[in-house]
Amino acid sequence: MKDRAISNIRRGDRHITTVAVIVVIQAIAAAFFLADAVVDISTGELSLHIFTEMLIAFALLAGIGLGAWQTAQMIEQARHDADALAVARGAASQLMDLRFRQWGLTDAEAEVALFSLKGFEVAEIARLRNVAEGTVRAQLTSIYAKSGVSSRHALLSLFFEDLIEIEHH
Amino acid sequence: MEAPEVQTRRWDPIVKITHWGIVGVVICNALLVGDGSIAHIYAGYLLAALLALRLAWGLIGPASARFRSFPPSPMRAIKHIGDILAGRKEEHSSHNPLGALMVYAVWTCLSVIVATGVAMSGPPPSVEFPISTSILVSRDEHGEEEEGQHEEGERGHGGESGVGESEEALEELHEAAVNLLYLLVFLHIAGVAFEAARSGRRTLTAMLPGGK
Ligand code: HEM
Repeated sequence: MKDRAISNIRRGDRHITTVAVIVVIQAIAAAFFLADAVVDISTGELSLHIFTEMLIAFALLAGIGLGAWQTAQMIEQARHDADALAVARGAASQLMDLRFRQWGLTDAEAEVALFSLKGFEVAEIARLRNVAEGTVRAQLTSIYAKSGVSSRHALLSLFFEDLIEIEHH
Repeated sequence: MEAPEVQTRRWDPIVKITHWGIVGVVICNALLVGDGSIAHIYAGYLLAALLALRLAWGLIGPASARFRSFPPSPMRAIKHIGDILAGRKEEHSSHNPLGALMVYAVWTCLSVIVATGVAMSGPPPSVEFPISTSILVSRDEHGEEEEGQHEEGERGHGGESGVGESEEALEELHEAAVNLLYLLVFLHIAGVAFEAARSGRRTLTAMLPGGK
């Protein structure tokens, strides 16, 4: 199973890099244009040509400023998201540790419970842990019994509720 | 359980692109193309653009790129040396205080190089296509001077007449700043190597494409 949170972050990073590259290219174009325009503007009479050059220079600089500002916003937002995700993950994994211990899961059961919560199917868990599918099924039954639920969804919503409550405090 | 894989990036793409772009320009102008050649001047303008963008980024960029997060402070640099001697390692979200001093020194140096370069060359010379690479990269395209090819930096330009004194002063300043830059770059690379050995490869990899 793919880690969706991470692949979302990667996609965001690629987007930011693309925008950043465009800002850099704009800045380079502006430097060459301005070098020419400044000479024209300082030596020439005020003419339509010079007026146009000033307008283009202004548009270029404004475009770069705006592009750079937006890039900075995107980067800050992405960092904020990544931090929030790390905090949420830390909280989630602490909570799982706590609950698994409270329910008295064995080490093997705790591992199976984690895989199950992460969305792995019985067959996948069996392959990952190198045991028979029947063993995994038995462990899941035991996990549900110890935690007092009847399905994986119910197990998941136990954590979901707790985490959302934590957020509100 | 897995270690949290989501680690905040230290250097954003603008910082990385401007850094490696500047490195590319410096290498190009130091080793590949002749002084005062067309390619040299164009590379210089490229440097001006990258430097200007990075400096603007220091004002409007994300926190780790802002001047505010690495103020030039000798006091903090001294404290940092104390940390190094005592074997204390601190995580810095931007440049460490010694690195910060180096960065400002490099930027000042590059600014002087760009300013004197632009003053000498004027706007980027126009280029008629097709043009041979040898003309692009050979010394002193603007023709005038240069019978006796001057050797790197030294006062080899004996028989020059058309060059005014201010031009000469600019050239000397340009070359002095370049030599100072080489020294700073040497110290900079040594500093990065030292820091990478002391507090981990992340110092270096954070600046590489894709690195955090
Ligand atoms: C012409 C040569 C070079 C110049 C002028 C130069 C200049 C700079 C500047 C100005 C910064 C500050 C970056 C910023 O905040 O925008 C920087 C940082 C950095 N440079 Fe270079 N650099 C050069 C070569 C190199 C090389 C060859 C390496 C790799 C070995 C390197 C690795 C780094 C690293 C890792 C940082 C981040 C340092 C930190 O964590 O504080 N640089 N460099």
